[in-house]
Amino acid sequence: MSTVFVVSTPINNTALAVRDLVIRYGDITAVRSASFEARHGEVTAILGRNGAGKTSTLEACEGLRKATSGSLRVLGKDIAEIDNASRARIGVMLQDGGIAPSARVFPLVRHYCRLYDRGVEPRRVLEQVGLQHRASSTWRRLSGGERQRFSLALALAADPDIAFLDEPTAGVDLDGRDMIRGIIAELTAKGCCVVLATHDLDEAERVARHAVVLHQGEVVLDDTVENLRSGQRRLEDVVREVTR
Amino acid sequence: MKLVVQQTRMELTTLLRNYEQLLLILVIPVGILVFFGNVQVLPDSVSLSRLVSSVLTLSIMSTAMVSTGIATGFERSYHVLKRLGATPLGRERLIWAKAMSVAIVEVAQIAVLLVIASIMGWSPGVVTWWKLIVAIVLGTSAFAGIGLTLAGRLRAEANLAAQNGLYLALLAVGGIIVPIDELPDAMALIARILPSGALAEAMHTSLGGATSDAWFSYASGSGVWLDLLGWAIVAPIIASRLFRFDG
Repeated sequence: MSTVFVVSTPINNTALAVRDLVIRYGDITAVRSASFEARHGEVTAILGRNGAGKTSTLEACEGLRKATSGSLRVLGKDIAEIDNASRARIGVMLQDGGIAPSARVFPLVRHYCRLYDRGVEPRRVLEQVGLQHRASSTWRRLSGGERQRFSLALALAADPDIAFLDEPTAGVDLDGRDMIRGIIAELTAKGCCVVLATHDLDEAERVARHAVVLHQGEVVLDDTVENLRSGQRRLEDVVREVTR
Repeated sequence: MKLVVQQTRMELTTLLRNYEQLLLILVIPVGILVFFGNVQVLPDSVSLSRLVSSVLTLSIMSTAMVSTGIATGFERSYHVLKRLGATPLGRERLIWAKAMSVAIVEVAQIAVLLVIASIMGWSPGVVTWWKLIVAIVLGTSAFAGIGLTLAGRLRAEANLAAQNGLYLALLAVGGIIVPIDELPDAMALIARILPSGALAEAMHTSLGGATSDAWFSYASGSGVWLDLLGWAIVAPIIASRLFRFDG
């Protein structure tokens, strides 16, 4: 008798809906009228050059940055009015970690598991990111790749329904990348929407189903990776062309 | 409430593991109390009871302003505050957790200092408890406001230097250890406006000590409380306007 695994996917498959998003810092417009969607069970990569508005967009989606105008709906709710129960379903991995150098791996992961209160076992999270042998180390004693995985562990503490990952593989070695890809695959397999911002187009090509390319704060491409790569082209060539 | 308690526990654990902070909030106030309580280098007007009030003031300043300010400044620069802001804890509960950890540390500090003072022969006069609690609350609010204003605007290293510099300046000429009426006129005038001298005097009178002439002539006794109240209201308002969670 064969076993059938059923992934529970919400009826409305849209996990993130961004409409006419504008973000200004004083006179500088970081994001101008960006619109796109990201779905449950898929990886959406936000791509673009430095200063394209990727991190600003991601931080607005995480509720960490106020949008100047436009609407942002995360898990069906306006991010500006999101309640704690929904906030607890959002995993976040910041570009720079957001971890103090003196913070120890296990106590901080356990603390985040308690803050999210989603019944996640901290030891299990450490095993997932391969840091069980570094449980008592401080952030400052970890290698670059281990720091990235520590930061990812804090996002996993939410057992997220949507995860925003900013440059998750930056500074990570090959084994570490494989591990992070595996974690992302596990997340999407259980219906989580993964939104990642990255400069690494090869990585995006490997893990993402959907790509949104930002250039000077505007969405210049929004399609599946498969469509973008039609005609044997690499994603890098496509992005290079539209962001020239 | 559960999340606030959880975060408060984390704040206290972090504090206990930080030796510089422990030096600031406990070792220095205890050292000053024991040293100046035994070595006669301060003016005669500084009795043991005035020294106790001064050291309690110093401990409140250490915890509410310097310790909280330096820790928060570094957390801001490492984006720790930003990261916590993306959890269900949120910014409002984070502020409550910080306030609770400051309150717990202050209670512990005051208890330790009063036990040591008692061993040194200090006994309080007629303590007006409600005044003592009001003084501690107002002082904490004033110094936390000043500390967070600096922490919320300056780069972490500049904030560290500013907090320590301000601490030493207030310790020396803020009317804490050296009484205001022993300071040169111009310095005394400034010290009367600062929250440090006002808190030391409010603590002293709350613990049953006699009112200082310097403060009495300043505004008929109530000047101390008005001064402290002003700082307790204005400093947190300025902090809330200027503080940036993301550095």
